[in-house]
Amino acid sequence: MNPRSEHRPMPRPCTLVYLVMLLLTLLTWLIGKTGITGLPVALGVLLLALLKGQLVGDWFMGLRGVRGLWRWAVILWLAIPGALISVAFYLSSGA
Amino acid sequence: MNSRQPDRRYPPGDLAIWIFILAELSVFAIFFAAYAFTRMNNVELFNEFQQSLDPTSAMLNTIALITSSYFVVRALAAIREDNREGCESWLWAACAMGGVFLAIKSAEYAHHFGMGINLSTNTFYMFYISLTFFHFMHVILGMVILAAVAVKTRQGAYSADEHTGVETGGSYWHMVDLVWLILFPLVYVMR
Amino acid sequence: MQYQSQSVAKLYFIAAIGLFVGQILFGLIIGLQYLMGDFMFPEIPFNVARMTHTNLLIVWLLFGFMGAAYYLVPEEAERELESPLLAKLMFWIFLVAGALTVLGYLLVPYSGLAQMTANSLMPTMGREFLEQPTITKIGIVVVALAFLYNIGMTILKGRKTVVNLVLLIGLAGLAVLFLFAFYNPANVVLDKFFWWWVVHLWVEGVWELILGSILAFVLIKTTGVDREVIEKWLYVIIAMTLITGIIGTGHHYYWIGTPEYWQWWGSIFSAMEPIPFFMMTVFAFNMVNKRRRNHPNKAAVLWALGTATMAFLGAGVWGFLHTLSPVNFYTHGTQITAAHGHMAFYGAYVMIVLTIISYAMPILRGRQAANSNRSQVLEMWSFWLMTVSIVFITLFLTAAGILQVYLQRFSDTAMPFMVVQDKIALFYWLRELTGVIFLIGLVVYIASFFVGNDEPEASVEPTAE
Repeated sequence: MNPRSEHRPMPRPCTLVYLVMLLLTLLTWLIGKTGITGLPVALGVLLLALLKGQLVGDWFMGLRGVRGLWRWAVILWLAIPGALISVAFYLSSGA
Repeated sequence: MNSRQPDRRYPPGDLAIWIFILAELSVFAIFFAAYAFTRMNNVELFNEFQQSLDPTSAMLNTIALITSSYFVVRALAAIREDNREGCESWLWAACAMGGVFLAIKSAEYAHHFGMGINLSTNTFYMFYISLTFFHFMHVILGMVILAAVAVKTRQGAYSADEHTGVETGGSYWHMVDLVWLILFPLVYVMR
Repeated sequence: MQYQSQSVAKLYFIAAIGLFVGQILFGLIIGLQYLMGDFMFPEIPFNVARMTHTNLLIVWLLFGFMGAAYYLVPEEAERELESPLLAKLMFWIFLVAGALTVLGYLLVPYSGLAQMTANSLMPTMGREFLEQPTITKIGIVVVALAFLYNIGMTILKGRKTVVNLVLLIGLAGLAVLFLFAFYNPANVVLDKFFWWWVVHLWVEGVWELILGSILAFVLIKTTGVDREVIEKWLYVIIAMTLITGIIGTGHHYYWIGTPEYWQWWGSIFSAMEPIPFFMMTVFAFNMVNKRRRNHPNKAAVLWALGTATMAFLGAGVWGFLHTLSPVNFYTHGTQITAAHGHMAFYGAYVMIVLTIISYAMPILRGRQAANSNRSQVLEMWSFWLMTVSIVFITLFLTAAGILQVYLQRFSDTAMPFMVVQDKIALFYWLRELTGVIFLIGLVVYIASFFVGNDEPEASVEPTAE
């Protein structure tokens, strides 16, 4: 099946993705807990979320192996609302 | 198992479920955008009442859902290797994590509703309750789907050659996770 | 005709067309009354003519749905109807009860009708579209139960297809939701809240299931596309209908005294109600494009494609125009509403009934598959006359509505209702003239049944393979 190194077994890719997502979640939580506010932080937190979403779409939902229009389904769903939310927060920030 | 070149035209599972997934994602996307733009006119209100929410509960919920999605991926990997028992176990584990989510969320609701907060209290709470409640219902539906797939796996309905059902049910569950991944930072953290 | 018992559909279709004519005649009366308020007063005042117009519409569409079911269910279930006798009996009961009700509206003052029919024992009269005396409503329930029994047993004992089951769920839903017509709370807010459980959940809910299944049936028959493909589309379409339409009921809860969150829920969910209609349009054109045969009944295919398109425009697009609460705040109860209502009802429900009649009637009357060329051409003329008329009626009412909203509500120097009505009278004249053209289209439609009957059936052109 998967040619694995005989000396050092590799963790599955999905496990690595999972661990990355846990870290990003903890990071977001820390920011929430310590109450850091402000537009750059808010947008940064949003970016982390979009990144997590992208990982779910690509690696968990299997869209990475898909070509054509469907590849973009989740990407667009993250990008467009993400952009709208960013605009709204930008306009709310005292502009 | 990993080919660098994308080779399929269609996402895994029944295409019909992907239409559903897009539809559900669209409703939530509109709601998210509505939240963000409404906040524009109510910044102080939103900031104030956002702080009455508990980001720790929400973080635990996020971990629960990410973990459950991971379990679903493991389940799919198992059935691809014709490991039916493994697949079934991973699916039940994913379902259980969904249950953890429901428990934590219910505790949050008990706290807020116990204080007399409802949909009409103010605009922030209206959004908070609406968004999380609609998501809550989708978690329940997702768990029902995962359970159904788990039962069918036990009954031998799936194999390495034919496991579209597992992909279909799994895809729906990932959607439920995806929605929460945006909801958590948007409603609980971003200020 | 594959099964003898399908022939009961013919009765229902004929009654449907007859009542359709009545509906349009009364439509022209009230259209004229907009401009000459005294027209036919006091014999047939506006409110009486109006409820006759709307009630006739609903009843003829119900006859159409029942005829559609009696035709397609035996064919789908691959067995004869459970009881053709019951179907015929219910036909006459429904027709007579309906006729008596309309005569009641026309000949007796409404309060007198209420007294005569003992409305006070269980009051259900007096609400829009539900003006029928309580005994008529009970009659409708009886007819509906008998109908569901008949259709249900046929399906239960026969082949259960997706088309069959979706139709049955739609019809059962129609019957169950009608029961809310009997629920008449004293609290005005609750009264209106539940009234919509009949009206909205009918036309933006279970009726869409009926529409979808009939459309799917006609497409299966006329295109030869794989049943599984068509049925999968049908599933997705009705799922979208229910996902958007159930909570979408909230777009009727903006201003009736319910909590404010309905303005959010209603706007967001109902904004997506056009999606199933858009899917239906793509579905219909796609199936026809991928067809494996050229069906000789070109008129039926035209009606099918027209239904999907007009339903999307009338129900979907025009509905969307006034569904968001900030917009609806200004447009509520204006000619914008009327514009949407007319194109939506015609595009979705009038047209789907005419579609199934177009497909089934030739066969019910002894043809193999289609009418003669002459007959079909005339029928297609009627399609264009009626459809284009409705589009213009809608455009004129939309123009009237925009002016009305601006002058009466939006402007800083808003004018009173009647003053504004005077100012938009031109559009009412244009609407009325267009309505006459619609009637001509309907006359041509009826003529198409009597023309070309002696001529040979339209022939099939082989598909270029």
